[in-house]
Amino acid sequence: MTPGPGTLALLAVLGGAAALDGTSLGQVMVSRPLVAATLAGCVAGSPAHGAMLGLFLEALHLGVLPVGASRYPEGGPPAVAGAALFAGSAGTFAELLPVVLFCMAWEWACGATVQWMRHWNARAASPPEETELDPATLERRHYASIAGDFARGAVLTLLGLALLAAWLRAGPAEWTPEPVARMALAGVAAAGIASSLRLFGSRRLPLFVLGAACGVALLVLR
Amino acid sequence: MSGVSPRVRRALLLRSFAVQGSWNYRTLIGTGFAFVLLPALRAAHAGDEAGLRRALARHAELFNSHPYLATVAAGAVARLEAEGAAPELVGRFKSALRGSLGSLGDRLVWLTWRPACALLGVCLLLAGAPWWAAAGVFLLAYNALHLWLRAWALDVGLRDGLQVGRALRESPLERLGERAAGAGALLAGFGAVLAFGGAGARGTDQLLGPAALAAGILLGFRTRRVAFALLAATLAAGALYLRTR
Repeated sequence: MTPGPGTLALLAVLGGAAALDGTSLGQVMVSRPLVAATLAGCVAGSPAHGAMLGLFLEALHLGVLPVGASRYPEGGPPAVAGAALFAGSAGTFAELLPVVLFCMAWEWACGATVQWMRHWNARAASPPEETELDPATLERRHYASIAGDFARGAVLTLLGLALLAAWLRAGPAEWTPEPVARMALAGVAAAGIASSLRLFGSRRLPLFVLGAACGVALLVLR
Repeated sequence: MSGVSPRVRRALLLRSFAVQGSWNYRTLIGTGFAFVLLPALRAAHAGDEAGLRRALARHAELFNSHPYLATVAAGAVARLEAEGAAPELVGRFKSALRGSLGSLGDRLVWLTWRPACALLGVCLLLAGAPWWAAAGVFLLAYNALHLWLRAWALDVGLRDGLQVGRALRESPLERLGERAAGAGALLAGFGAVLAFGGAGARGTDQLLGPAALAAGILLGFRTRRVAFALLAATLAAGALYLRTR
């Protein structure tokens, strides 16, 4: 189900805000897939569906590090676009699988536009030979970069929505049986979460095992 | 003490949220750093428009730091500018500081605190907590450190000026990172088991759980690419099966 014009406008604003939050402004982490998808789910009418998508995207985004000038996938706008469309579905794993796949691919595309924007910002930055800089010029350049990043996020969210809607019309939700989709998604989410041990250091494997034992205990008791 | 008024201090803190607003491959966060520093430079060079322009050009040059710890440098430089320090000294000080602010912040925030907080949100959701609790707890836990760090770092910079290195060495940031890493590892084990265990696997499918955990640990940062390939293969296999049926 494609969202109406008012919802689309709100989603574009949310996608722009998520793009800004990723690097340019705030970094309070509303751009994380878990939060961005949940918020987009709220806008589109089903926060629980948004959170469900956000969980899988977050699990596969834990190892993404925005360090220095490294190239990395951008999680915010794709999560907004994906959650907006997944919110209108029945919420099955067979429907979720193509949405997760699209969002992961779109994250790389959005990450590439971050690189382009940084090259564009470099042209706008003050030249090295500049020995004096007008405060108004500096502020104008800075605000223009921030506005450009917001516009980039909004456009990428709407473009992502259009591409995902077209992809979902091809019927990928019917290609995979529900139990297979559930196992595949659960497996990659578990692997994604487990892979975050690399961030914390392999010497903390005993703590990881202790956490896993607590998880098993909870599953048994439930 | 620092010669920087409370009004300028508030402006520095508020502007620090946009320090990466014009991140670029030539000056990195240099332009943003000058943007953050502008209220302090205006106060330090009041009545000297040419001096302000020259100071702004100097500070818009190459600079890098973790965004939350950039306020250490902003505070210290604001103090030096207020005291009328020589531009060469300020330039050398910024060069000396930028590497350590980057690595310290990256290790604490990106490598440990953020993933640990995200895992807390993910684990809550997997354990059956409502969506608002998962997202809310993540945001609250993460930003408790984030906001404190920005304010603390600015205070350290303004208070210690050129001596910020010692204050950073004596700070609890390294210890905090160690504890966050421990909690993160615990949550990663817990969440990984719940992620697969909650799928209701039966029979031999249950073996996929330990296999997924082992694959994640062994693959590390390559897990994302392998996961994408596996999901794509699953979808393609389903489409092929439907076509040939």
